[in-house]
Amino acid sequence: MNAYGLAPLLLLFPAVGVLFNGLFGRRFVEADAKVGERWSGWFASLMAISSFVVAVLLFFTLQTNEFHPVVVPIMDWISIPAADFYVPWAIRVDTLSVTMMLVVTGVGSLIHIYAIGYMHGDPNFSRFFTYFSLFIFFMLILVSGSTYLVLFVGWEGVGLCSFLLISFWFDRKNAAGKAMNADAGRKAFIVNRVGDFGMVLAMFLMAWTFRSLEFDTVFETAVEMFKTNHIVQFGLFSAPISVVITAITALFLLGATGKSAQIPLYVWLPDAMAGPTPVSALIHAATMVTSGIYLIVRSNVLFEIARESGPVIFGVISTPDLVALIGASTGLLAGLIAFTQFDIKKVLAYSTVSQLGFMIAAAGMGAYVAAMFHLVAHAFFKALLFLGSGSVIHGMEHGHHHLLHDHSHAEDHEAVFDPQDMRTMGGLRHRMPVTFWTYLIGALALSGIPPLAGFWSKDEILAHANEHAQVVYVVLALAAVCTAFYMGRQLHLTFFGAPRHAAAEHAQESSRLMTVPLIALAALAAVGGLLNLPFLTTRMAEANHHHPAGVFVGLESWLEHSIAAFELTEAGTIHLPHTPIVLSPVVAGISTLLALVALGGAFYIYRNKPETAADPDPLQRIKPLWWFRILPLETFYMKFVVPPFKWLADWLAFAVDWNFWHDFVHNNIIRDMFVSFATFLADVFDKFGVDGTVNGIGSLTKGLAGAIRRTQTGFARTYALGVFLGAVALLVYFLWVLY
Amino acid sequence: MSILLSVLVFFPVLGVLAILLADRGKGESDNLIRWIALVTSLITLVISVIVLASYNPAVSGLQLVDRVPWIPAWGIQYFLGIDGLSILMVLLTAFISVIAIAASWSAIDKQVKAYYTFMLLMEVGMMGVFLAQDLFLFYIFWEFTLIPMYFLIGIWGGTERVYASIKFFLYTMAGSLLMLLAILYMGITNGTFSVPDLIAGRAAFADAQHILFLGFAIAFAIKVPVFPFHSWLPDAHTQAPTAGSIILAGVLLKMGTYGFVRFNLPLFPQASFDYAPAIAVLAIIGIIYGAIVSFPQKDVKKLVAYSSISHLGFVMLGIFSLNTAGIQGGILQGVNHGLSTGALFFLVGVIYEQRHTRLMSEFGGLWKAIPLFSVLSLIVVLSSMGLPGLNGFVGEFTILLGSMGAESLGTHPWIYTAFAASGVILAAVYLLWMFQNVFMGPLDNPKNEALRDVNRRELVIFLAFLVFIVWIGIAPSGYFNLMDSSVSRLVNDISATVMVGQ
Repeated sequence: MNAYGLAPLLLLFPAVGVLFNGLFGRRFVEADAKVGERWSGWFASLMAISSFVVAVLLFFTLQTNEFHPVVVPIMDWISIPAADFYVPWAIRVDTLSVTMMLVVTGVGSLIHIYAIGYMHGDPNFSRFFTYFSLFIFFMLILVSGSTYLVLFVGWEGVGLCSFLLISFWFDRKNAAGKAMNADAGRKAFIVNRVGDFGMVLAMFLMAWTFRSLEFDTVFETAVEMFKTNHIVQFGLFSAPISVVITAITALFLLGATGKSAQIPLYVWLPDAMAGPTPVSALIHAATMVTSGIYLIVRSNVLFEIARESGPVIFGVISTPDLVALIGASTGLLAGLIAFTQFDIKKVLAYSTVSQLGFMIAAAGMGAYVAAMFHLVAHAFFKALLFLGSGSVIHGMEHGHHHLLHDHSHAEDHEAVFDPQDMRTMGGLRHRMPVTFWTYLIGALALSGIPPLAGFWSKDEILAHANEHAQVVYVVLALAAVCTAFYMGRQLHLTFFGAPRHAAAEHAQESSRLMTVPLIALAALAAVGGLLNLPFLTTRMAEANHHHPAGVFVGLESWLEHSIAAFELTEAGTIHLPHTPIVLSPVVAGISTLLALVALGGAFYIYRNKPETAADPDPLQRIKPLWWFRILPLETFYMKFVVPPFKWLADWLAFAVDWNFWHDFVHNNIIRDMFVSFATFLADVFDKFGVDGTVNGIGSLTKGLAGAIRRTQTGFARTYALGVFLGAVALLVYFLWVLY
Repeated sequence: MSILLSVLVFFPVLGVLAILLADRGKGESDNLIRWIALVTSLITLVISVIVLASYNPAVSGLQLVDRVPWIPAWGIQYFLGIDGLSILMVLLTAFISVIAIAASWSAIDKQVKAYYTFMLLMEVGMMGVFLAQDLFLFYIFWEFTLIPMYFLIGIWGGTERVYASIKFFLYTMAGSLLMLLAILYMGITNGTFSVPDLIAGRAAFADAQHILFLGFAIAFAIKVPVFPFHSWLPDAHTQAPTAGSIILAGVLLKMGTYGFVRFNLPLFPQASFDYAPAIAVLAIIGIIYGAIVSFPQKDVKKLVAYSSISHLGFVMLGIFSLNTAGIQGGILQGVNHGLSTGALFFLVGVIYEQRHTRLMSEFGGLWKAIPLFSVLSLIVVLSSMGLPGLNGFVGEFTILLGSMGAESLGTHPWIYTAFAASGVILAAVYLLWMFQNVFMGPLDNPKNEALRDVNRRELVIFLAFLVFIVWIGIAPSGYFNLMDSSVSRLVNDISATVMVGQ
């Protein structure tokens, strides 16, 4: 089977989806809301499913062609022969990109279908699906580009879609009267641009160092250069290759902290929850935010070289170690912040930041397969949890709606009702059984309870850390405990206990359009571990990496074709630090035990608290813990970055540029002095009898100026004359001096 | 010898004559005049496409040359020619002129005859600037462009139009006087004003090249404008009528950057090399300063005006990287800026026509009222922000790529690149701020509810912009190809000379 040639269809389908909904969607929905929504939503879903089919075909194509990576060219993009710079539009089909394609289109399709139910009745239904298709389009460009530049197109493109979808309800205002959705969207875009700054600089460095941005060429050249200890030379600049590659990888890290919401740039992701919930599931949990991990895994050769180069960054640390450190600390910090959230989606948002930290840490340690495994598993269970939370929110809104129509409850209904506040929930397991059971599976998978997907993938990271980086292991193990605890807290607050608000009493299970994707994702979250069971990989390792072609055994051997070992010295091979993980019963046992304890602890602490929606959270008594609600970077930026920038901008724009430079220097100094000077000259010339000339020029200006003359009598004339005379004088002087 | 370029330059004069003949006074023939102007500019556009078809991108020197002696005693010639440095500027001029005329259709209803006469004369001047290959002729066209623009701003501009037009006129004229001195000096020492001849004989004034460079550079820097010579720009851009702003941003500013590429670089290569770091520093200050100053502006048009300082900073940085990527990126980014900023001015004009205000605080939530207009505006904003896949990115990327390896910028060119690239973040800050304040948020000003969405004429203009915004974004190779050989020749020439000089 050979379907490499079909790869462009992958992009074509969502593009058609964009055009269809963008051009006709609104008309359909406005003509007949019910039929229109069905067309709009199902067409977009169909396009996503079609792309999924293409991705599946590519998957089998790789299996039957010995996992042979192929670059499918589409057309020229930037080609500047004189500068020897050439970047084509091309799709790279290899095991890594196909893994991402399957996740994006597979999970994406399910979320599309869910969104048909979720967005039902929204006046901008078709606009939503236009953006959704556009997102799939750009995300596929990101994962399938064969060069860093094309990857970057997708990278920025998904950022755009994220901006559009976060601010989808752009006219909503919060209690303080701020357009919070629009603010959140803008914030996401700007923070991501900070990361993009790193990305573009990395690309300039690569373009000059390797004379290419194409993955294969970059990696091959990098290895060759490293072996020969090449001195990079461009312009008059020179530096050893190890320094240049460390710089490139560090800049990638900056990009990844933006896109994948790591310290110090994670601050946009919690705000991004203002968007519709399917957006949070698709973009801010399953796919877009994992781009940073994809980038690092894709660039594994460069990161391994950076590791080999040693502590180049300020002489203290190497980039991969820095990556691991940032990932691990983000994992823990976000896990702690998640304790203090009341918004059901904010908990999940911080949880996502935390889990992304796991993946980043894994990638930093060189456990690329483990990072990808967790990426896939996380896509399953976090998408599930977000969609579940969406279902809960819908149910709560339903319940609240019910109240509004039921006058008997009118008196205990407050002015502002927040359907996302977990304090108003409770006991929903009875009202929303499907949502509850699927959510439970997702939460347990996330907490790392065997045999669900999260257990296997998280354990692989922990086992690796235990073996190679003890510090990272301790931090991540703590983060895992946090994970189990905040999920226990959330489960209890949402589904257990008694309802704390009348809306929760009247909550309703969501429609089949929403629950069927939940069930599908729950199944994936349950069995996702099969993708890379350690027994299989152990067997692989024993069989000396030999595997029968055409059979998918596990991510380990599948991704091996994209994350190959290579030689870094003339003397011998340096393997990737990541060796196939043998199941470590100790590590697995400890983490399972810790997760169970944390879950149980959460259930114990919250067993009958808070009793009403207004009661404080039991954790609120532990002050240092509650500081995490306000302490982190967000406060820092809002206090020490944004206001100074605004002040500086105001000062530059109004005081410096306008009052000083525009008004004072130009009007008061230059103009007024010139006018005096010119008047003086004119007077002198008058005395010498050139009055006629002056008047002649004057009347000429007068005639031309027409309408202007009345308001500025004589000013322009004197001014122009002054300039003219001055120039003549200068000219005479120059010619006099030169000859 | 070909008269094609002369036809291109002077064809709009026929339109002017037709307008004068057609006028029956009292505004009765206003519509006819509009049509004459539009058709004239369209035919000029067609002629420019014929020029493109006759142009051979593989040739690096001047093509389609039209050269006759004019004032032989002083070595002055009537000398037009086109090459890779100017072809894109010529096409841009023809395109922007059509757009500017179409954009004025309903906005201008007083003194229509004079208005379109000036518009067409403007086109003559601009074409002449990009095609003249004799310094004397160039200077005449260069100064000539001031006159129609002076009146366009002064008569049809906003409330501060008189101040703005005079400032524009004097500021630019003062700058060009030094250039005139430099031109006269070179012409007299070499006995010719022809640019190719002067380049061939530049050894004769090599000793004075640094001062001559500055003479040209100040004129061009004011036009661009390079920080700190930008003080005229917020006035002129804000006060000019919409079409005037489109022409200013679209073409007039490019006359400055074009001047650097056409004259400063080949005539004074050593001086260009020596001054490159200083100019690059000014360019980077412009990028960052322009972007920061744009942010707090309350008037949308002023915000767009200041953003030009930032964008043109990129162009200047590219040019003074003095390598092929930088210069090609710089020229292309000139075109990109003409398209995206031209379109931004157009969209501001469309709202202004209806609401007679440009204060951001008056708007908000426009997406609800006029969705199609908002989507089109979003694409334009994204193009200006340099979103990959649209035109701005290709230009900025190529420029920064050039600057990263620029020998002219010393041993650490990456420092320049890093600072310049921070402009990418700042662009998002001020453009998204503007977009949010105008188009997002609740539609809470009742006056905005009555806004109409784009009409057919506006849609066509928008689409004309968007075609090129997307085309250059995803398939710019053809554009690079047009200038490749001319730019390589220029770069080789400079590096050969500078090598010898060292």
